[in-house]
Amino acid sequence: MEPVLSVENLSVRFPGRAGDITVVDDLSFSLEAGRSLVIAGESGSGKSMACQTLLGIAPGSARVTATRIGWRGRDLQKLSQEDWRGVRGAEIAMIFQDPTAALNPLITVEHQIVDAVRAHRRCSRDEARARAVEVLGMAGFPDAAQRMKSYPSELSGGLRQRVAIALALANAPSLIIADEATTNLDVSIQAQIVKLLRELQKKLGMALIFVTHDLGLAAEIGDDLLVMYAGHAVEYGPARGVLADPCHPYTRGLLRSAPTLKSSRDNPLVPIPGQPPQPGSIGGGAPFRSRCPVSVAGVCETARPGWSEAGPGHLVACHRFAQDGRRGLP
Amino acid sequence: MNAAVSTSAGVLEARNIVKTFSVRREGRTREVRAVNDVSVAVAPGEIVGLVGESGCGKTTLSRIMIGIEQPTQGEVRYGGKPVADRADWAALRRSVQYVFQDPFTALCPTMRIGKALAEPLAIHGLCAPSERDGKVARMLEMVGLHPDVARRMPNQLSGGQRQRVNLARALMVEPKILICDEIVSGLDVSVQAQVLQLLLDLKQRLDLSLIFISHDLRVIRYLCDRVLVMYLGEIVEQGETASVFDNPRHDYTRTLLAAIPDHSRALAAMADNA
Ligand SMILES: Nc1ncnc2c1ncn2[C@@H]1O[C@H](COP(=O)(O)OP(=O)(O)OP(=O)(O)O)[C@@H](O)[C@H]1O
Ligand SMILES: Nc1ncnc2c1ncn2[C@@H]1O[C@H](COP(=O)(O)OP(=O)(O)OP(=O)(O)O)[C@@H](O)[C@H]1O
Ligand code: SF4
Ligand SMILES: [Mg+2]
Ligand SMILES: [Mg+2]
Repeated sequence: MEPVLSVENLSVRFPGRAGDITVVDDLSFSLEAGRSLVIAGESGSGKSMACQTLLGIAPGSARVTATRIGWRGRDLQKLSQEDWRGVRGAEIAMIFQDPTAALNPLITVEHQIVDAVRAHRRCSRDEARARAVEVLGMAGFPDAAQRMKSYPSELSGGLRQRVAIALALANAPSLIIADEATTNLDVSIQAQIVKLLRELQKKLGMALIFVTHDLGLAAEIGDDLLVMYAGHAVEYGPARGVLADPCHPYTRGLLRSAPTLKSSRDNPLVPIPGQPPQPGSIGGGAPFRSRCPVSVAGVCETARPGWSEAGPGHLVACHRFAQDGRRGLP
Repeated sequence: MNAAVSTSAGVLEARNIVKTFSVRREGRTREVRAVNDVSVAVAPGEIVGLVGESGCGKTTLSRIMIGIEQPTQGEVRYGGKPVADRADWAALRRSVQYVFQDPFTALCPTMRIGKALAEPLAIHGLCAPSERDGKVARMLEMVGLHPDVARRMPNQLSGGQRQRVNLARALMVEPKILICDEIVSGLDVSVQAQVLQLLLDLKQRLDLSLIFISHDLRVIRYLCDRVLVMYLGEIVEQGETASVFDNPRHDYTRTLLAAIPDHSRALAAMADNA
């Protein structure tokens, strides 16, 4: 099937004292209608920045380059301001990591959703209000008809997050980008929202990009999984294949440090030793080299690893794996 | 909590807290009861977990415990005495620090990170000005950030980086009690493991007490000595973490435990379906 979204060689740089600092480095991925991509990885590895470029809202100081950001036959890089108004919030909607920023503190929840609906659709206020109740209900916002008259400051963190989810759903977009959208929700609501997003994907053919640190959630919601480290994609493929046989030493380190319900202090969690590199300090070598237990002498210091195939559609960017199929770390 | 513990030195306690908010809407005033007769105590070196449905009153309760919010009824006690007047609260805030749920609004947007971290040292006169930069750098490293982060502005950091700056800022004054509202949810699990280890170290070495609010029951199980489960403003279950998790008594606790995503479980389920 033809992908609805195809990102080719996306890079994001910020000007720094000693030249540009690259925070997203040559990222490529694609997504078909009705499918979901989970992006996981290191804190600060460029996940939010990559998502923001897809909506044309990267910070003003960011320099975004890409061969192409294909969206339903168009290149998002070539859209005019006018074109963007028809895409942003209508075709592509984003649920931000920071729900407070997405909401206007001076306007009630009801008004914000009504305005969002009427920005893209000709309808009466009553119709828009009915839609607001509907999407708030979908997002698990309790007692919507009454409580949507609240201001954001009167809501708990998790309730605000549900409002942000409802706003994203308001215009039935073809792609939802959810940047840690369920991080502040209790697990039962989280499960409900994951189920809802899955249903919308099936019913409406919606595509989904879901950023999360929760690898358990990644296994539940992701068709595909992309693991990022220091601005680079290090492993990419079907979520189930990647999690069943993680091949990049970083992915393996992550899985090993994740708590499960059986974890206890008698059996301490093991973080990956060492610190991530400062953005911009990677140069030409492998991004994980300063912490890698299986690095290839003379290669990882100088050469960027390309993709090797580890299984059907399962790609890993690692010299060690390319050389002898070794996975490093237990 | 038995009375003997709750009167000893260093214990922070909330007794029979009730909090109602009045909300004015279309001319009418409605009462929202966010916290309903809740008591919590945390002893030196103890880690108490607070879990519960979103909107059940966890943040409100913890804000009351450091005096950002006034309870409608009930009292906060520290070291066995009620915290009553401004002087009492000022004393409490020297030893109790709070890390906010929202990492994006907690930092002043126009202040460099280094300055934001050094500020509490200056306010409390905790070390010579010449030592401040060194302390800031060490604290940043403890939470897994590069010391260069000190030169950045908050909007130049990712969500998880800001979350750690907030934690670092609270730790700068070497508090005796730390209240953490959802502080590890935005971290990758390797950094999360590192932060949890740091908190356990501080508990061991300095007898740091923690009230740890989180939706991640895996983290709660790993970190906390005791856990309190809140539902609709009330505590519905509490006890030693392992016993609550292994033998949940309240239906809501059971629902929570059943909904935890676990990659090993999800993979097993996928294999079954295949
Ligand atoms: N305005 C900016 N100027 C310079 N650097 C920035 C700016 N905004 C973000 N960065 C840096 O870009 C990198 C990527 O940030 P991004 O927010 O995409 O990370 P992330 O993967 O979403 O992390 P997290 O999981 O913590 O949210 C980080 O190292 C961050 O410090
Ligand atoms: N200033 C306020 N005015 C009116 N209602 C409020 C106010 N602050 C909180 N509430 C309400 O009190 C209840 C408890 O909120 P609180 O923020 O303590 O929840 P929480 O348990 O921290 O939830 P979350 O997990 O979503 O952060 C919620 O129903 C919220 O809407
Ligand atoms: S072996 Fe080399 S390429 Fe592979 S993870 Fe280690 S440093 Fe990176
Ligand atoms: Mg982010
Ligand atoms: Mg809260």
